[in-house]
Amino acid sequence: MTENNHSSADDPALVRAAQQGEMEAFEELLGRHRDKIFARAYSMMRNEEEAIDLSQEAWVKGWQRLRQFQGEASFGTWMTRIVINLCLDQIRRQKRHRTESIEELDEASGGVERQMPVVIVNPTSGLERAELRQRIDRALGQLSYEHRTVLVLHEFEEMEYKEIARTMDCSIGTVMSRLFYARRKLAALLADLKKQD
Amino acid sequence: MDWEAQLKLQAYLDGELPEAERRRLEATLAQGGQSSLLLAELRQTREVLAGFEKGIQMPESREFFWSKIEREIRRQESPARVPAPVSWAARLRRLLVPASTVALLAIAGFLTIRNDGSSLLPGGTEMETALTDTGAFTYRDYSAGTTLVWLSYPAENEPDDDEDAVTLQ
Amino acid sequence: MTPRIRSTALLLGWALAAAIYSGSGLRLQAATLKLQAQLVWGTNDERSPDPKHKPVEAVVKEKLKELPLKWSNYFEINRKNVELSPSGTSKVELSEKCQLEVTSLGGSKLEVILLGKGKETLKRTQALPKGEMLVLGGNAPNATAWLVVLKRIE
Repeated sequence: MTENNHSSADDPALVRAAQQGEMEAFEELLGRHRDKIFARAYSMMRNEEEAIDLSQEAWVKGWQRLRQFQGEASFGTWMTRIVINLCLDQIRRQKRHRTESIEELDEASGGVERQMPVVIVNPTSGLERAELRQRIDRALGQLSYEHRTVLVLHEFEEMEYKEIARTMDCSIGTVMSRLFYARRKLAALLADLKKQD
Repeated sequence: MDWEAQLKLQAYLDGELPEAERRRLEATLAQGGQSSLLLAELRQTREVLAGFEKGIQMPESREFFWSKIEREIRRQESPARVPAPVSWAARLRRLLVPASTVALLAIAGFLTIRNDGSSLLPGGTEMETALTDTGAFTYRDYSAGTTLVWLSYPAENEPDDDEDAVTLQ
Repeated sequence: MTPRIRSTALLLGWALAAAIYSGSGLRLQAATLKLQAQLVWGTNDERSPDPKHKPVEAVVKEKLKELPLKWSNYFEINRKNVELSPSGTSKVELSEKCQLEVTSLGGSKLEVILLGKGKETLKRTQALPKGEMLVLGGNAPNATAWLVVLKRIE
């Protein structure tokens, strides 16, 4: 494949070329998917520097494992799973330095989400896209890693409960409980942010 | 609403409820009440999140980001040297050359170390070991002689333990 | 033994002697390390809410500005001086939640352990020649930052 053809080639063609060792084809794939990969890392880590580093590591790993990619999923999905796994590894490493444990965290939530009043009014109605994004960003940042990860894997990665449980090495019940808590807390936070405005 | 009912409601929203239970729940939902309100809130939260990631952009330019990745790929791919069969004399020479180097370095070190223990050679005694915290990154400004280690812990927004985490102040 | 091997053995002997001598000399001559540790708050606010917090001195501010940090103002929350004898360790309490444990490893080399709420958060070993600065930092609430600045005075 010539360099000029890269921009017009589809992903599978670029993957095949990259599998043959064409780095230019891989660069083109990076150009197409780098924002998505970074966004996923950022959603999970909430730290720009870390998200850049982890996306970089994911792309290097992507190149090294490219021969294993058989095209069962799209290239973008495959790369996203690589960055998710790297983020989960990083979160596990960071947890060693934190006092909280999952058990403590579950206790800390103490079933509050069960008693939270239902937010009936849409707290985000009438907002500009940028403002809405900023508000969600702030609210997501206030969730714990565990709750945010479940939410990201379910809402953005569209994983099923059992897949999340497998990825996060926990039970389906824990996934359901964390997802419920994350959603309810997010709704309450968004409502609170609106009140503050 | 008990806890189980709330989780079932969520599973219904996520399409994870078995058919029979789904029908039973729909009958309950048709009567309105607390479960309908909770379902509306859960659905609303899901809708709010839809498309959130689409607006996030990598802050580094494609060229710069790729250059880092390409460099790293090439660095990791640089071939390891294959040892060639060596003669006894060559083996001895291989042993003696580093030994002589160590000797010369020791003499040079002895001659250049000052009374206060610092070295006359630029950066002579500087050594860094890896950080135990993998959530930290390091920046070194050689001209100013400043090293910055930025920790991702304590994080800016640690939920659930807001009161006692977050700050070292 | 060939002349070549003999000469190398002689050279090695000299090297060992020199290394032992230089090492013992260092131990005898090593001076006390004098360090200054500061707990600093980074913010974009013009003033600190606590009037006791003074802006950091110009030299430190300039060095912090050279770093890839986004804050425009830095206020000193606490400052402690540390004297380290060779191989000595000193624990510095900069705040209730922030302590440093500094150990001299000979020459200008130090081991620095940052303790957050009594727990070891980071361990770093590096040389800190006179005039150089080691800055440890992290995010704090409301888009501000905490920084620990360790400076070698002597």
